[in-house]
Amino acid sequence: MKNRPEIAIETRKLAYHYPGEENISSPAVYGINLSVKRGEYVSLIGPNGSGKTTLLKLFNALLAPTDGEVLVEGISTTEEESQTEIRRNCGMIFQNPDNQLVATTVEEDIAFGLENLELPSPEIRKRVNRVAGELGLEHLLKHPPHLLSGGEKGRVAIAGILAMQPSCILMDEPTAMLDSKSRQDVLGAVRRLNREQGLAVVHVTHFPEEAARADRVVILHQGRLIEQGPPALVLNNLQLLHQLGLQGTASSELAALLRTDGFSIPQEILNCQELVQSLCSSELKN
Amino acid sequence: MFIGTEKLSHIYMPGTPYATKALEEVSFSLDRGDFALLIGPSGSGKSTLIQHLNGLLKPSGGKVIFEDRELGSDSVDLLALRKRIGLVFQMAEEHFFSETVYDEVAFAPRNLGLDEVKVEQNVKLALERVGLEWEVVHDRHPFQLSSGQKRLVALAAVLSLQPEVLILDEPTAGLDPGGRLHLFALLKSLNQQAGLTVLVCTHHMDEVADLADSVLVLNRGKVIMSGPAHDIFARRQEFNKLGLSLPEVTEVMHCLAAAGLPARTDIYSLEQARAEINSLKRRLEK
Ligand SMILES: Nc1ncnc2c1ncn2[C@@H]1O[C@H](COP(=O)(O)OP(=O)(O)O)[C@@H](O)[C@H]1O
Ligand SMILES: Nc1ncnc2c1ncn2[C@@H]1O[C@H](COP(=O)(O)OP(=O)(O)O)[C@@H](O)[C@H]1O
Ligand SMILES: [Mg+2]
Ligand SMILES: [Mg+2]
Repeated sequence: MKNRPEIAIETRKLAYHYPGEENISSPAVYGINLSVKRGEYVSLIGPNGSGKTTLLKLFNALLAPTDGEVLVEGISTTEEESQTEIRRNCGMIFQNPDNQLVATTVEEDIAFGLENLELPSPEIRKRVNRVAGELGLEHLLKHPPHLLSGGEKGRVAIAGILAMQPSCILMDEPTAMLDSKSRQDVLGAVRRLNREQGLAVVHVTHFPEEAARADRVVILHQGRLIEQGPPALVLNNLQLLHQLGLQGTASSELAALLRTDGFSIPQEILNCQELVQSLCSSELKN
Repeated sequence: MFIGTEKLSHIYMPGTPYATKALEEVSFSLDRGDFALLIGPSGSGKSTLIQHLNGLLKPSGGKVIFEDRELGSDSVDLLALRKRIGLVFQMAEEHFFSETVYDEVAFAPRNLGLDEVKVEQNVKLALERVGLEWEVVHDRHPFQLSSGQKRLVALAAVLSLQPEVLILDEPTAGLDPGGRLHLFALLKSLNQQAGLTVLVCTHHMDEVADLADSVLVLNRGKVIMSGPAHDIFARRQEFNKLGLSLPEVTEVMHCLAAAGLPARTDIYSLEQARAEINSLKRRLEK
């Protein structure tokens, strides 16, 4: 892989106002200083309307900052001549895959971006087949994408992005319409590229159990970054989460209830295994 | 039979290379007042099934039955039927077309030819039932609302016809955790207080498993499980094989049982898990 800067995305005092917004004092995002390292997996959580989608669009030059700046691999997103390059390196997966599917067959759809790069066809075929395999789409390659179910469309959209081998991937609630197996397939494929090839990931999600698997969790509220840190800390700050209308994982919520009942369970519980292990080793030893 | 299907089959684009057998001899029935879940992997035919239940799609074979009569037989007027069986589409707010919340919710009753006095009564009642304040929302443009509020408007737009059956296709997709809890609690109260029969298609069991009376599981267009919720959720291995998941608290109980503890596993909510783990601790101490 190419030599790449250590910092994939960096923002400085980033702010964005939608044009014509009634209330100029409440920008969609404001004062964001954030950097995402190469190979880092960041999950972005926050109530509906907190600015998550806006922030992703700023990262990938779909929106230009009203104030402050965004650097993608060191290049400002306001430099016109770099925007195509930024969008290619920084693939975005939208909430609604319908807006992302363009071709007449799934195969062509996945290959669409690659064709634009003018890669040799054997290479294109190889990449298409690989991502189709990883996402369980082999049997649909000849189908028209608009006839697929919601979950299938979601996987096709993701396959198209992964085939481009971007250095950074932005995912806006990619699993909202997926069943749990497809969710695991999709997130597993992304996690693998993240670990093996240093793909930087920013993943917006409403599912605490997905956020729990990130390297870092960032909370947005009313356009501001109000908390960040390792999942075990951020997702166990239940007081803050509940105040914002968010939740911890079911295991962290259950652990908290049991603590108030007098169980001694460590603070940093995120998943089923950790909770069960803790219960079996102390309170429920038989 | 109150509502259900008998050997319902559906083929999309029959006779073309893309012909897809989306439903194959699906039979099920709901009792009046049921709260039922429809689950299954993406592409298993859930949305297709739902759209048959109020006559939006026509069976390729078999029948849809409402109050012992077949839909599409001359004696059943489809318009009258759609008044009694309300369907909330997936991401329904993406199809809003009115300038105000009032007009959006009033659309269906106006369409039925109700006079404006009656329409206004229905709109008021519908907004009240979903917990949106008339004074705050009725004049606003739907796009000025938060995602959670938009989803409630979509629900109100269906409730404005005062249906007896409410069918929802992934109603919490894209909502934050607080929005999900609120919506499911609302559905449960419509079911228990107002007596609506509710059928919800969802991938996310954590918030809803505990509310369901019965469950229907589809896979590749066929019914593979159906019955009382507790019986169906007890079939964990089959769930896992299908790539579906049970609530995380249920997994916690199964892991405790697997560790050799005499834990009950028919547990589907945080509070149930909390009670059972406390009880388990007391039982072990004896
Ligand atoms: N196209 C737009 N025009 C005007 N305001 C918008 C637009 N898109 C989003 N907003 C507003 O910006 C804020 C942040 O929205 P968004 O980034 O979509 O939040 P999230 O993705 O966290 O739900 C919200 O108050 C929303 O109403
Ligand atoms: N309008 C359509 N035309 C052709 N095929 C369709 C259409 N809608 C869905 N399908 C196909 O029918 C099957 C069932 O889809 P759907 O009912 O949407 O599943 P689910 O809601 O369980 O995800 C899928 O294989 C899908 O590709
Ligand atoms: Mg968003
Ligand atoms: Mg569907």
